[in-house]
Amino acid sequence: MDTPSQQAASTIDPALLARVVKGDVQAFSQLYDQSSTLLYSLALRMLGNKEDAAELLQDVYLEVWRKVSRYDIGRGTPLAWLVTLTRSRAVDRLRARSSRGPQSMGAPLDGDSHVPDRGPNPFEAQADQEVHTLVMGALAALPPAQQEALELAYYEGLSHVEIAAKLNQPLGTVKTRIKLGMTKLRESLRHCWDQGEHL
Amino acid sequence: MTHEELEEAVPLYAAGALERPERQALETHLLSGCVSCHTALKEYQAVAAVLPFGLQSTPPPRTLKAKIMAARTAPVMEDAATEQQASRPSLEPGEWMNHLFPPESSTSIWSLRWGLGIAALGLLVAGASLAWNSYTAMTDSTAKLQALQTASQEQAAKLASIQQQIREREQTIDRLKAETDQQRTEAMALKEQLIQRDAELEDLRLQLVTRSSPPQAAHAPEAELAALLHQSTAVRTISLNGSEKAKGAAGFLLYDARTHKLWLYSINLPTCPKGMHYQIWAMQEKPVSMGSFHNHGGETAHRFITHHPNLSTVKRFTISLEPSGERSAPTGPIYLTSQS
Repeated sequence: MDTPSQQAASTIDPALLARVVKGDVQAFSQLYDQSSTLLYSLALRMLGNKEDAAELLQDVYLEVWRKVSRYDIGRGTPLAWLVTLTRSRAVDRLRARSSRGPQSMGAPLDGDSHVPDRGPNPFEAQADQEVHTLVMGALAALPPAQQEALELAYYEGLSHVEIAAKLNQPLGTVKTRIKLGMTKLRESLRHCWDQGEHL
Repeated sequence: MTHEELEEAVPLYAAGALERPERQALETHLLSGCVSCHTALKEYQAVAAVLPFGLQSTPPPRTLKAKIMAARTAPVMEDAATEQQASRPSLEPGEWMNHLFPPESSTSIWSLRWGLGIAALGLLVAGASLAWNSYTAMTDSTAKLQALQTASQEQAAKLASIQQQIREREQTIDRLKAETDQQRTEAMALKEQLIQRDAELEDLRLQLVTRSSPPQAAHAPEAELAALLHQSTAVRTISLNGSEKAKGAAGFLLYDARTHKLWLYSINLPTCPKGMHYQIWAMQEKPVSMGSFHNHGGETAHRFITHHPNLSTVKRFTISLEPSGERSAPTGPIYLTSQS
């Protein structure tokens, strides 16, 4: 039987989702084991505190359980679907949070409350470690301005208009930075999904 | 937006950096079936999907999985209310992937009061959903009935069109049949005329044979032919006698009363001198020219006269030798003339 340490988020099989569609609890459990670390890391990065991240993750997985039949493989891999869903719900929370003002921020990352239960560690599966290395390298190869624009869009949930205002840069410059950054990442990572089965 | 602008917006879309109108425009374009943009989006979406691998890996709380597995079977009260909410955040990155999942609005911060309110709203929506289902079922039936009626009307229109085509073809067939009948009638009439002509010719031939034996040496050939033609009641013969200028010449005019055709036969007229011709005259109150002809030698000459006056008004016919060119009255010597 597989253990979480052997199951890579980067190799989630669409057949696993097909089993979840049929109400297979074991498949749902395996899906959680394969993807939860990646999704939680994303939620934590976007929301900034572990309580909100955990709550978000719970909402995401329950939504997956209830509505997995709506997953359309023609529009992306299972991983892309889970990441997009998690990120989208996190952006919802960031928007709701910003509309209520800064006083509603949850526990910050700094301090004892941010310490994860098992502590930060590399991705356990070999395949995920390789992807981690590739993505880190690809991101490091980007100019800092492109990195910054991408991070504000992807992790902060800001539109190019909001990023331009925040950085006090022309809108066209920001759009170009994001576009160039994404294009360079695509070229750097192309062989990653050329070789991988499910990424 | 042009296709180029939409294509350039794909990486921003995957990164979640587009404003709502731009995002909606691109999604509409994608749904229209643009293959190149769809392919590009899948690649950029794959980039966006692996970006979290660049984060520091942090496992979730140990107790979270148990909480999720336990909550999995709990009844969901907020589903209906959530799906009915029309107000969405201003930015929903990755809608192309997320289109099946309407965003929730800060469920984590619901207070008990809001929770109760939403629960009540859920019951209300459930009732409305039941009513809506009934309404949609009725609407479906109505729509199906309308579709059947529309299909029936289309078939009736096609049938009417086919019937009209059949009527038009029947009219065409009737017209062709009438034309065929008329042509058949005309052909029968022509055939009868031909039979009659054959009979007349046969009669004439028999008379000619009868007259030709025993031979009558005293009669000139033209006299015999004139006498022969006299036997036919339909043909009137007018004899022409030679004048002092041509004592050996003779001739006659044959007039077919049925066809109103007139022929001239002449015998032994002298050859026309150069620059001269014979001109035929119908002598009435004033002379009327009926045409001219040349005689280049030979015993006989004949001519079909196309224009002639009513023969009942003609006093006599003459043929004179005239210089070339039409004359309004005889100026030259008379060669042939009929009796008054």
